[in-house]
Amino acid sequence: MPHLEIVSLSSRYGSEEVLKEVSLAADQGEVLSVIGPSGSGKSTLLRVLIGLTPPSGGEVFIAGERVDYSSRRSLKGLRGKMSIVFQEYNLFQNMTVMRNVTVAPIKIKKRPREQVERQAEALLAKVGMAHKQDAYPEELSGGQQQRVAIARALATNPEILLFDEVTAALDPERVNEVLETIRGLTNEGITMIIVSHEMAFVREVSTRVAMMDEGRLVECGPPAQIFDAPRQSRTREFVSSILRH
Amino acid sequence: MDYTFQFSEVFAELPYLLGGAVVTLEIAFISFWGGAVIGLGGALAKVYGGPALKKTASTYVTALTNTPALVQIFLLYYALPDAGILLGSMTAVLIGLVLNAGAYLTEIIRAGIVSVRPSEMDAGVTLGMSRLQLVRYVMLPHTAKTIYAPLSNFFVWLVLGSSLAALFGVEELTGRAINVSTANLRSIETFAVVAVIYVVLTVMASASLALAGRLMFRVRAKVF
Ligand SMILES: Nc1ncnc2c1ncn2[C@@H]1O[C@H](COP(=O)(O)OP(=O)(O)O)[C@@H](O)[C@H]1O
Ligand SMILES: [Mg+2]
Repeated sequence: MPHLEIVSLSSRYGSEEVLKEVSLAADQGEVLSVIGPSGSGKSTLLRVLIGLTPPSGGEVFIAGERVDYSSRRSLKGLRGKMSIVFQEYNLFQNMTVMRNVTVAPIKIKKRPREQVERQAEALLAKVGMAHKQDAYPEELSGGQQQRVAIARALATNPEILLFDEVTAALDPERVNEVLETIRGLTNEGITMIIVSHEMAFVREVSTRVAMMDEGRLVECGPPAQIFDAPRQSRTREFVSSILRH
Repeated sequence: MDYTFQFSEVFAELPYLLGGAVVTLEIAFISFWGGAVIGLGGALAKVYGGPALKKTASTYVTALTNTPALVQIFLLYYALPDAGILLGSMTAVLIGLVLNAGAYLTEIIRAGIVSVRPSEMDAGVTLGMSRLQLVRYVMLPHTAKTIYAPLSNFFVWLVLGSSLAALFGVEELTGRAINVSTANLRSIETFAVVAVIYVVLTVMASASLALAGRLMFRVRAKVF
């Protein structure tokens, strides 16, 4: 049974359907990357998965259990299992780094503060931000904020981690530090869905790559297939246009 | 002809004038907090209300921010008795200033609410926050920080603006200054002293507000 199974998932903004019957599955610990041109529905896919944007059709199963996106209780359960890191660094600006990481486990999961803070220190050390735990987000570079956001997402002990172009808003010299951080997480058994335009990175860390275009899944396969022998001409076009840059 | 300043007669009345300063602060406080309650309601109506609520709130704001506070209080003071409601001068002034402040504070608070970054709300939601937790941990701190400086300025404006109460015979600082100067015929000295008292009041108010802002919201406002 796949850990995360997406069946014929659709979503619309108003009358415009931006996600069209997308089906994908990922096994436990798999790193599934999603590529595709801007506007192809990658962010929408992730937003629907974590319940920020309602689906208009289709189903999502986690470990065989169906997620009911119209039920508050089901959403609460979902968010205990799944975390997301966004493109813009959306840390809570009014909280220190430490508080950003600990607020959800302490206030929402009601775990003991001591224990949460010890875990947070370990997570911040892991993303190389231990020295900044008392800083506020505005005092950090984009790359540093993004690494804190990763620590914050990990602090809820997610089984599934979503990344939405987490390096797209960064200065080029900051991209690697964030990619390094993600790379370090790929062997921990967390199932990951990574939306990214960093093709070398995608190729290296992914178990499988999904290509999207105009809200549809074009093809999905191992990196070698997508990058070296794509079955769809749309994939070939997109990959070569990106690699040329 | 030379004019010799004589402050001694004014200083003799200092306790009386300082008593007026207390009334001034009371008017400013009541107007501010009354206005804040209306302003919060107005801002919520404007941001989250349905079309009717939105329309009502913006009509209120437009009407009251486009007419002088003084004219509004005159209307309350002279028009309401015709409708059978007799207001004391202090009551008329307070009601007028509260309504007026409510309109300005609606706009200030609304700006604070819409300044909350949607991406931070998204982050809160995906971390599992309930609606109440979103308000408490994301919206409130953000809004408070954004509206802090305009609120402080508005409070200072109210301290000064409350002087229009004197026109209705309220004995706050300016009202008492008029009384003193009519009695001692030392207008220049009296109003000079009163001006200094106003400066002290507003500087104290700004400084304590800036300090509070720094402690509570990490607003980097200058204390002086
Ligand atoms: N909040 C929104 N309201 C209306 N349309 C949106 C909204 N967000 C995204 N869209 C549209 O949905 C489509 C897919 O967007 P998105 O999922 O962000 O694509 P990607 O992440 O692949 O760039 C685009 O056509 C975009 O214009
Ligand atoms: Mg996107």
